[in-house]
Amino acid sequence: MSAALAVARNELRHLARSRVALTAVILVALLSLAAGLTSSAYQAEQAGLRARLQNEANADFEAQPDRHPHRVVHYGHFAVRPASGLAAIDPGVEAFTGNMIFLEGHRQNSANFGDARQSSLLVRFGQLAPALVLQVVAPLLLVFIGAGMVASERERGTLRQALLAGASARGILAGKATALGVAALAIAAPAFMLLGWLGLIGPARTSAALLSATGYAAYLAVWVVVVVAVSALATRSRSALIALVAIWTVGALLLPRLAPEGAAALRPLPTRIETDIAIQRDLRAMGDSHDPDDPYFAAFKRRTLAQYGVARVEDLPLNYRGLLAVEGEKLTSGLFDRYADEAFAAMESQSLAMDALSALSPTIAIRRLSMTAAETDLASYRRFLEQSEAYRYDLVQRLNWLQAQAVTAADDAAKGSDDGAEARSRISADHWRDMPRFTPVRPTEAAVVARAAPALATLLAWLAAALLLANLAAQRLSRSAA
Amino acid sequence: MNDLIREARLFLGLRSALVAILGLFLLASAGVGAGLLEAQRQADVIRRIGPQQAGDVQAISDWVSRDKDAGNAAYYTFHATWDPPSDLAFAALGARDVAPYVLRVRALGLEAQLYEGEIGNPEALLPGRFDFAFVLVYLAPLFAILLFHDLRSGEREAGRLRSLEAAVGDGRRLWSCRVAIRMAALSLALALPFLTGAAVAGTAAWKAASVLVLIVGYLAFWTVLCLVIGRAARGSLANAMTLAVTWLVLTILAPAVGHVAINSAVPLRQGMELSLLQRSAVHRAWDIPKDQTMRAFFATHPEWAATAPVTGPFHWKWYFAFHQVGDQSVAGLARTYHDGILERAAWSERLGHLLPGVGVQLALHRLADTDPAAQMAYQDQVRDFHSRLRRFYYPYIFNETPFDVGDFAKAPAFQPRADGGRWPGSLVAGLLLVTLAVGSAGLARGRRRSA
Repeated sequence: MSAALAVARNELRHLARSRVALTAVILVALLSLAAGLTSSAYQAEQAGLRARLQNEANADFEAQPDRHPHRVVHYGHFAVRPASGLAAIDPGVEAFTGNMIFLEGHRQNSANFGDARQSSLLVRFGQLAPALVLQVVAPLLLVFIGAGMVASERERGTLRQALLAGASARGILAGKATALGVAALAIAAPAFMLLGWLGLIGPARTSAALLSATGYAAYLAVWVVVVVAVSALATRSRSALIALVAIWTVGALLLPRLAPEGAAALRPLPTRIETDIAIQRDLRAMGDSHDPDDPYFAAFKRRTLAQYGVARVEDLPLNYRGLLAVEGEKLTSGLFDRYADEAFAAMESQSLAMDALSALSPTIAIRRLSMTAAETDLASYRRFLEQSEAYRYDLVQRLNWLQAQAVTAADDAAKGSDDGAEARSRISADHWRDMPRFTPVRPTEAAVVARAAPALATLLAWLAAALLLANLAAQRLSRSAA
Repeated sequence: MNDLIREARLFLGLRSALVAILGLFLLASAGVGAGLLEAQRQADVIRRIGPQQAGDVQAISDWVSRDKDAGNAAYYTFHATWDPPSDLAFAALGARDVAPYVLRVRALGLEAQLYEGEIGNPEALLPGRFDFAFVLVYLAPLFAILLFHDLRSGEREAGRLRSLEAAVGDGRRLWSCRVAIRMAALSLALALPFLTGAAVAGTAAWKAASVLVLIVGYLAFWTVLCLVIGRAARGSLANAMTLAVTWLVLTILAPAVGHVAINSAVPLRQGMELSLLQRSAVHRAWDIPKDQTMRAFFATHPEWAATAPVTGPFHWKWYFAFHQVGDQSVAGLARTYHDGILERAAWSERLGHLLPGVGVQLALHRLADTDPAAQMAYQDQVRDFHSRLRRFYYPYIFNETPFDVGDFAKAPAFQPRADGGRWPGSLVAGLLLVTLAVGSAGLARGRRRSA
């Protein structure tokens, strides 16, 4: 143990003296700090903007004058996606999803104004956030610093000397790994401090920040151990460097990009147009509200009349048009939900297929863990869409019920041709102020942790595998000295 | 010539070099293949939508033709627009996955329809596409570094440098042959898969030739950079590290910093703001006197001012007029939003003149017509089509002409925009200048050193 510490101390002294390595560590640590600062500034600005827009939308909705409830169904509402607590660490899919969705009757609109669509092509080079630095840049720097740690000592012959003098191979490797781990910590320190700040004082949950920190620590540990092990296995420092850069290229760059191509081919997604057309087709097959003799709506009429114990629509205590609107919305919403569920099921199996590649690339595992903890993954986006759809349905149905209850059938029928009826069909603006506001509910802490658990387990498995490799390297070293 | 052949033989004898070239060839082939599949899929989607759309219009015409109300026809009928992938889209798919390439619009307010998104898995979009552009911009430089970082230092470290230069006599000639052979091998590993893809996709010859220029130009930049850094006469390991750090800065860090800088210099909130405003502007019509709306409409459409005035609580004339007026009321914001996106693209192009990786990325997408400018051109095309749609329905609505089954077929047909791929001259010039600058800086330093 003390031998390992001595090696580590020695290696760190060497690192601090090597101007290139020290500059690189400081630069990447600064970069990580800059990424954290710009990313949190951006997220804070986004959070402010989105809160302001949601407030404006609420104010607009509540400031509506006396109106016919169906006008309000079409006036609609906006749901703005609130910013999540750890998005400053990992913006995840934020830029690639819409942030604002228009909610109205009979239609399910898309979430629009995602950043990627309004940015230049530069967005495809990756977004400057601590996640990019920790997932992609830091491992490459560890490769540069560590590739020669053992191999160059072998080239110089000092490794053999140390082994012959009785140092244990395992101790040497442990020492080198400790030194490289210190470098990794130095690089990651600003990001970890930001995590701590967000989790303890800032808007994020402590459990999520802790989860994210554990994940990144395990991820960087995997790279530290792999780098030292490969450096010990390689015959020359140059071949160690080339092998490690190749591992980095494949693991951190290539596989994460290749994964979606395979996943997309596995489960192709429908386009919005096709979904819209299919929904309209299904709707017509169920019942055509434009056709007075349509069997579905005829049956609905019979049911309604029976329910209220009357013989004619005119004798209903409620406005039949309102009831029809309630029924129509139920039909369309059922279809919206069904098609959205299908699309999301396809997306989720795509994401599962991509996650399976984390067996080959720890970067895919940490990306999953980090996005999940930051609530910037597909599941969180789905949550937003589903909650906004549920809110839309509830709002529209409340308004449809108002039409059934507060607007008389006679006024409703004559409002298109009779100014008096039109004026009477408008109901008090107080109703709009009584409508609930869109208040998205975040997933519970336990749910987030449970969703991130498989990725964390994968990272720990990677760490175990890396340690096995290092052990193998140590055994070979001891044998080579003997 | 003999020297070249000798060096080619030597190169072919190096197993590690051959593995690298083969690796790059396979990656480029995979990128081209994935791109071809995706471009084909997009073309298939566009083809598939035609008949489905026709069925949808048919179903609407079935019930609209009962009372022949033009208002219903205009309100319920959607019209398809599409943006076919260009003959080079396979090589650089660009923005075609975040912005829709098929969109349906109807004669109602366009600003509520134009920004609709597509169904996509954001987790699949996040890492970026694996297409030829990715292989060229990101991966090819790593292979160049692999082949060039120890060009001289490798021989020196093996103790062969002196004897080698003495044996050949002309050192300069030896190295230029070696450089030429390696450059040629890298270029071929990229160009052969690309040209195969271009043949499959039927890419115009001038575009294929332009991409070849980009391949050679970009490889030349990295080769020059490798040679300049190699001249600093340090060990192979130090060379490889310096080059890889340069690669990291040029292709990952600098573009990411540039992206943040551009997006904060050109903030774009207008999209979300105009959505709120347009919605309020449209619906305000229900609460204000109708002739206020009609006057605003007639100000831009005087040709309908003489038609019968709107009396009674509802008329389609007034309904479509207030949708038009709603669009007009946010026209300024829409223009700012549109121009803001183009301005962001323009700034990225300025950055592309200095950063070869960014420059080549943008140049490829400009050629392939898949950049934000292409996306905005499609939007302009949709705008234009939408105003044709309005002009088509207005006579029926304002003259109260019955809209019959036959009239559905008279609606304007969408004409997809012409291929907008252009030769990215200034970006190529930028690449050339940066390469020359790096080269001459290296030469100047070398001269100082030897003096």
